Amino acid sequence: MAELFVAGVSHKTAPIAVREQLAVEEDKLREILLDVHATGIFSEVIILSTCNRVEVYGVADVPGEARALAFRRLGQQRGLDLAVLEPMLYTKSGTDAVRHCFQVAASLDSMIIGEPQILGQVKEAFALAQSCQSVGPLLHRLLSQAFAVAKKVRTETELARHAVSVSYAAVELARKIFGSLEGKAVLLIGAGKMGELAARHLVDQGAFPIFVANRTWPRAQEVARVLAGTPVPFDEWPETLKAVDIVITSTGAPEPIVRKGDVERGLHARRSRPLFFIDIGVPRDVEPSVNELEAVFCYDIDDLRQVVESNVRERLREAQKAEAVVEREVAKFLARAGDLEVVPTIVSLRERLETIRRGEVEKALVTLPSADPQMRQAIESLSQSIVNKILHTPIVKLRELSRSGHGRSWTEMVHELFGLGRERDEE
Amino acid sequence: MNPVLFDLALVGYVGATLLALAHLIQRRDAVYRATSLLTQAAWVVHTLALVVRGVELGRPPLGTLTEAMSVVGWAAVLFTLWAERQYRVKVLGAFVLPLVSILGLSTAWLPPGLTDLAPALRNAWIWVHVILAMLGISAFVLNFAGGVMYLLQERQLKAKRPGALYYRLPSLETLDRLTFRTLTLGFPFLTLGLFLGALWARTAWGSLFTFDPLALFSFLAWLVYAATLSGRAVAGWRGRRAAYFAVVGFSALVLTLGAGLLLPGRHGS
Repeated sequence: MAELFVAGVSHKTAPIAVREQLAVEEDKLREILLDVHATGIFSEVIILSTCNRVEVYGVADVPGEARALAFRRLGQQRGLDLAVLEPMLYTKSGTDAVRHCFQVAASLDSMIIGEPQILGQVKEAFALAQSCQSVGPLLHRLLSQAFAVAKKVRTETELARHAVSVSYAAVELARKIFGSLEGKAVLLIGAGKMGELAARHLVDQGAFPIFVANRTWPRAQEVARVLAGTPVPFDEWPETLKAVDIVITSTGAPEPIVRKGDVERGLHARRSRPLFFIDIGVPRDVEPSVNELEAVFCYDIDDLRQVVESNVRERLREAQKAEAVVEREVAKFLARAGDLEVVPTIVSLRERLETIRRGEVEKALVTLPSADPQMRQAIESLSQSIVNKILHTPIVKLRELSRSGHGRSWTEMVHELFGLGRERDEE
Repeated sequence: MNPVLFDLALVGYVGATLLALAHLIQRRDAVYRATSLLTQAAWVVHTLALVVRGVELGRPPLGTLTEAMSVVGWAAVLFTLWAERQYRVKVLGAFVLPLVSILGLSTAWLPPGLTDLAPALRNAWIWVHVILAMLGISAFVLNFAGGVMYLLQERQLKAKRPGALYYRLPSLETLDRLTFRTLTLGFPFLTLGLFLGALWARTAWGSLFTFDPLALFSFLAWLVYAATLSGRAVAGWRGRRAAYFAVVGFSALVLTLGAGLLLPGRHGS
C-alpha cells in the first residue's frame, strides 16, 4: 500500500551549514528527481529545495526506504553523509504530511512567518516535478490544494500584512498617516545608500515629487537623477519643509541636523498638514523633541525597530487564525483523499473478478459448442451482472469507510482476502 | 404604540455593539459580517417600528424628544452603514453603535413623554424643524466617532508603540476626511433646523429667544461647529484640532438633549 509522506530538514532542525550543503540548483535537482523516480521506490515524488528547507514529498510503499534513498542522493552532491543528516531529518506521514505541506505553502513554517517567497518556491518545485512526470494523482491533489490554502490564508488573515523590515515599516507608518502616498512630497537629507533605499520604497508607492539635499553636490545630483527628483543645496533644505510631507534623514553627522526650531518655523505655512520624519541616521539627525510638535511624527531607527517587533507579534497572532484555516483544509483534503486511497483497491478488485469471470465464461463456452450468438450474449451478461452485484456493496462500503478514515485497514483486508497483492507481485 | 418592535431593534443594536467590539479586539471577518448583518436587520426593524408608530399616531413620530432621539439613532445607523462602505472603515460601527445603544437605552428608561403636541405646536413647519435638526445631529454622531478615532490613532502614532488599535484604525487622513465630511453634512441641516425653530418660536411666542434650555444649548453646539468650519477655511484647522472640536461640539449636543429631557422648557416633557 502506497503511503504519503514528507521528509526533510528546515531552519528549525538544521543549521545553515547543513542546509546549504543540501541545496541544489534546478538542473541538478531535475537529474536527482529523475534518478530517484526511476528506481520505482517512489510512485510519486516532489523535491522542494530553498535556502531554508530541503524537503521530499513522496508517495511510496516503503516510506523509510524512499526517504533514505532521496537524502542519500541529495547528500552525495557535496559529500554529506546520511548518518550525519539523520538526526536532523523529520518525517511526517499521512495527515501530518498533509498538514505540513499546507503550513509550508501558507508560509506558516517559514523563518519569517508570512513571507511571500515560499509559495513561489513550492510552485516551482511542483512544476519541476511535473516536467519530470514524477507527480501522480495524490501529490497533484495535495499541492493544488496547498496553493488554494495559501491563497485563503492570505485573504482571510493578515498574516503577511504588516511589515517586518525597517524600511517597509516606515512605508507602512507613512500610510497610516497619509492614507495613500500618491502625490506626497518627499525630502531626502543625506544621500546615502540607506536613505536612497527608503526613498525608493516611497517612490514605488507613488510619492512625488522628491527633493534630495546632500553635503556634496554631485552626489545629490546623482541620487536625484536615480529617484527622478530634484537636487536641493544642503543649506536650503529648511525652505522645502513647507512643501514636503515626508522627510528621510540619514547623514552620518555627529549632531542633529534638523532642530525643533527649524521645523516649528516651517509649520505655520503647513496649516496643520501632517509631517513625517523618518530618521534612519545613527547618531540621530532629527532632534527627538520634534515629535512633540502638532501634526509632526518623528521615528528614529529604534522606533522603527519597535514597530517591526510589534508587527511580528501581530503576525504571530494572525498565524493562529491561519492555523485554523489549515486545519479546516486538512480535514477537507482527507475527506476527498479517502476516495483516492481506496480507488486502486477497487480497480484491482474489479480486474480480479473480471479475469475470473472471463476465464469461467470461456470454459463454459467450450462445453457448449453449439451455442448461438444469442445464447453467448446471455451467458456474457449473466456473468457480468453477477460480478457487478457482488461488487456493488463492497465498493460502496469501502468508499464510506475511507471517508470515515478507516479505509486503510479495510483495503488491506480486501487485498488479503482476494489475493490482490500476490497478483501484483506475479505480474 | 408598538414597544415590541422598538425593543427588538434596541436588542439588535446592543447585540451588534457587542459584536462590533469583539471584532475590534479579534478582527475576525466572520464577526464583522455578523455585526453588519445584525446592524442592518436591527435597522430594518427600527424603520418598521417608526413607520408603524407614525401610522398609529397619524403624524410623524417626532412629536416628543424621546421619539426624536429614536430618529437620531435611526439616521446615525444609516449614515454609519453608508460611511463604512464609502471610507472602508470597518471599525466605525464599534464607535457609533455604542452611542446608538446608549441613546436607545436611555430613552427606554424615560417616561414616554407627551403623546400629543400642544396646540401651539400644530404646524407643518415644526416637522421640518425637527427633521432637519435630527438629521444634523445624527451626522454629528459620526463626526464625534470620527474625532475620537482620530485622537486615538494620533496618540498611537505619537507614542510610537503600536497597540491593538493602531492596526485596526484607518489612516489619519481617512479619519480627518470622515470628520470633515460629516461636519459639512450635518452643519447645513443643523443651521436650517435651528433657524426654522427660532423663526417659528417668534411666531408662536413672539420672541426669538424665549428662555428654553434646549434652544440655548443647541445654539452653543452650533457655535462650536461654526467655529470649526471657519477655522478650517481660514486657518487650515484640521487633524487633531478638528477632532477636539468634534468632541466638544458633540458634548454640547448631549447637554442639549439632557436639558431637553430634564429641564422644563418649550421642547418637551
